Amino acid sequence: MTFTPIDKAARATPPAMARRIRGLSDRTIAWIFVAPSIFLLLAVNIFPLIWTIRLSFTNFRVNRPNNDVEWVGLRNYQRILTDEGTWATMQATAHFLIWTIVLQVLIGFALAFLINKKFRGNDLWTTIIVFPMMLSPAVVGNFWTFLYQPQIGLFNYVVAFFTGADPASFSMIGDVMLAPWAIVIADTWMWTPFVMLICLAGLRSIPNSIYEAAECDRASKWRQFWTITIPMVLPFLMLAVLFRGIENFKMFDLVVQLTGGGPGNTTTLTSIDLKREAFEKWRTGYSSAYAVILFVTVFGLASIYVKALNKVKER
Amino acid sequence: MAEVKLEQVGKSFGATRALDSVTMTVPDGSFVVLLGPTGAGKTTTLRLIAGLDLPDAGRISIAAQDVAGLSPAQRDVAMVFQQYSLYPHLSVRQNLEFPLKSPILRTPPAEIARKVGEVAEILQITHKLDNKATALSGGEMQRVSIGRALVRNPAVYLMDEPLSSLDAKLRADLRVELKSIQANSGATLLYVTHDQIEAMTMATHVGVLDQGRLVQFGTPRDLYENPVSVYAASRLGQPRINILPAALFGGAPDRAAQIGLRPEQIRQGEGENSLVERVERLGDQTRLHLNLRDHPIVTVTNAHTDLRPGDIVKIRPQNPFYFDATGARIP
Ligand SMILES: Nc1ncnc2c1ncn2[C@@H]1O[C@H](COP(=O)(O)OP(=O)(O)OP(=O)(O)O)[C@@H](O)[C@H]1O
Ligand SMILES: [Mg+2]
Repeated sequence: MTFTPIDKAARATPPAMARRIRGLSDRTIAWIFVAPSIFLLLAVNIFPLIWTIRLSFTNFRVNRPNNDVEWVGLRNYQRILTDEGTWATMQATAHFLIWTIVLQVLIGFALAFLINKKFRGNDLWTTIIVFPMMLSPAVVGNFWTFLYQPQIGLFNYVVAFFTGADPASFSMIGDVMLAPWAIVIADTWMWTPFVMLICLAGLRSIPNSIYEAAECDRASKWRQFWTITIPMVLPFLMLAVLFRGIENFKMFDLVVQLTGGGPGNTTTLTSIDLKREAFEKWRTGYSSAYAVILFVTVFGLASIYVKALNKVKER
Repeated sequence: MAEVKLEQVGKSFGATRALDSVTMTVPDGSFVVLLGPTGAGKTTTLRLIAGLDLPDAGRISIAAQDVAGLSPAQRDVAMVFQQYSLYPHLSVRQNLEFPLKSPILRTPPAEIARKVGEVAEILQITHKLDNKATALSGGEMQRVSIGRALVRNPAVYLMDEPLSSLDAKLRADLRVELKSIQANSGATLLYVTHDQIEAMTMATHVGVLDQGRLVQFGTPRDLYENPVSVYAASRLGQPRINILPAALFGGAPDRAAQIGLRPEQIRQGEGENSLVERVERLGDQTRLHLNLRDHPIVTVTNAHTDLRPGDIVKIRPQNPFYFDATGARIP
């Protein structure tokens, strides 16, 4: 007689315990396996969320735990939504989000389209292009501050070379008009490769035989691009937009390192603003309300978007 | 509506010689069937004519024009792919409309709708027109793929095993339809199949490929009655030709190594004794599996024969084919 590991385990189980285990239904066993994950999820996700919502109706300050906590109803929400500073922050965030996504999708797709052509060394190029993505955002933020230096910065030098302007005449980080673009450029430099990789996966998923069929059906390259390539890559593109959108809504480290939210508040994104309210001004109740508003916004937008994405995939 | 001419065409994929010096003239308006076992180079031939692959050697011309350097679109060919190649993100209707919506053609919408409806009718897929191309059975996909070629009026149709995944009845229906479409439009059609009945009933000419070489090209009847080799002889005929050692019967020419006997070349009732091993009744005919001195022979006899396994039948060759040691026919 041979013993498999299961036989051995069965033999090693004390009879009393074995009897008890045998009495369990499949459903019970399923619950036993899932329970730890559910517990963790409740502990680190659901409970803090509910607690945050609770705090958002109070004037609680975490640095003054002995103060009386008052219920303030919807006053926190009202103050946030009528505060001009908040709206300026939202605008800065929207500017950052929209432009990073537009640029990264356009450039990322174009790069993927070029890399996907069969030429020698395209694997090497892919590796080179993907490099920025592997760096730490803090490092990227730090060295872009050098690139943006008016006197010695490479960025200013290159712009000056092409436009003929004086490289010392403008400061990407110091200028209120330019700073929002400075963070867009740095983020685009860092994350376009990511969009490119997703687009590349999309392009590679289109079998060559479909282009051959289109070729026989006398579709021009232009028509093939618009009626085959774009519709078939679209789900991938939309996924890239979703990833980048969520990531950049949470953007913190790169921008803090690069501009610190300035000059003024021109590059203070909501995540930076929220961190200041919560952990510099210690307005816990107020910032909880702020967080809830952001959560609802992101969650709402993301669900609408995911619905659209599924519709595109079903087509 | 064009003659297709291949001269000394060769094509290699790495070390594989897919086509080796193929010369063939497909006359205008003919229906040419390419036969050959898997890997013989049939698909490669069609792809070279379509312009999807370029030959390493030789010339291809369509309608007396050298097509080297012309794109598939410029060659005006319609191709039915072996693996269907439908546009997966489009509906069946959009798949069928696709070739007609080419800006070169400027087909009016009403005309497109009419044409698509007509082709869908012929292919019996009208009820699936609004399905997504991926929500179809294999046979339905194959018919959409045929439809995509039929909506057009190209110089040459290229069809790569277009009926292979259809059931027997549909296959019989479409055989007739395709043949009549081709005959009525006068289009030139190259057709790849493994099915003998398709080859015999539809073809005006048959080309036999063997490991990239065109070993015989002629009318189906010519090929059947005058095969150039054992290989060519084995392509057509149901049941297959019996290939036996030439010495089994007397009277073989000196050089002959093998004798080839189709059922109608086996005369029953006289000659050598053979043992009936199996009797297959197919309805319209009955097949006899015989054993002649340990050599199996399959032949046909009348449908209502009384023969049973264990009986003895006398057989004798009648105008047989003789082949030499290399398999070439001895005239
Ligand atoms: N793209 C390719 N790369 C490498 N080898 C290929 C390629 N296409 C075809 N071949 C080889 O060329 C030979 C002929 O292939 P082809 O597809 O023409 O065969 P076929 O006659 O159509 O076979 P089947 O009946 O299986 O479709 C085969 O040996 C095949 O392996
Ligand atoms: Mg093939």
